[in-house]
Amino acid sequence: MNTFGILLGVATLFIIGFGFVWVILGERYLGLLWWPYFMGLGIILVIGSLFTPTIWGSAIMGVFGGSLIWGSTEFKVQAIRAELGWYSFSPKSKPRPPFADKIENWKAPHL
Amino acid sequence: MNVQWIGLVAASATFFGVWYGHVAVRKIESVVERLWVPIVLSLILGLGSWLLSLLADNVLLSAAAGTFGVTLLWDSFEFWRQQKRIIRGRAPANPNNPRHARILTVSPAATTLDLLDRDPVGYPVNPEEAIHLIEDKTK
Repeated sequence: MNTFGILLGVATLFIIGFGFVWVILGERYLGLLWWPYFMGLGIILVIGSLFTPTIWGSAIMGVFGGSLIWGSTEFKVQAIRAELGWYSFSPKSKPRPPFADKIENWKAPHL
Repeated sequence: MNVQWIGLVAASATFFGVWYGHVAVRKIESVVERLWVPIVLSLILGLGSWLLSLLADNVLLSAAAGTFGVTLLWDSFEFWRQQKRIIRGRAPANPNNPRHARILTVSPAATTLDLLDRDPVGYPVNPEEAIHLIEDKTK
């Protein structure tokens, strides 16, 4: 019996659940243009997980990295949901990320 | 230096599990009349995946099956949440599906329009403008 996978699955459930929260807050207070930074952080975590010595450390880093990459692709639809009033829309101007001019020309991913 | 593959396996299972679930739940909920069928199937597949994870000797397989299994179990709950989105008009109803057709007749908020199928505009949008924005896109 190998309970590792199921325990990791339960941890994944909480990490994905946390994803709902940070995507909503990230879009509300930072804004759509920050999506590449969340995706980049996710990729860094997944690469970092390859060089993390413990199995649990590597697995959790990987799941969190995968969840960050997924969440970054949700920013665009989340921005529309907030515009429609399905989530609260922050009227305050949002901080522009580094290279915002370039990011504006990229098509925000949505899967 | 030894490379620890478990993180990449867990990341892939999470990403593809969520992606597959996101797309499949919407598609299946839209075409299936009896919603309990995919709910039960998803539960069985999720628990089956967990059983595989439990019996696997290989730690990579155990991690992949455990993580993918949880996304399948979540999908089972998402089928019900997706139907709620249809009732509230937050996802497009399929009039060719008798269950959705019934929702369209009893729920005033339900719609066949996909209000999310556009680019963000950066300001709050009222219901009429929300419809104009998706019409502009189809022109």
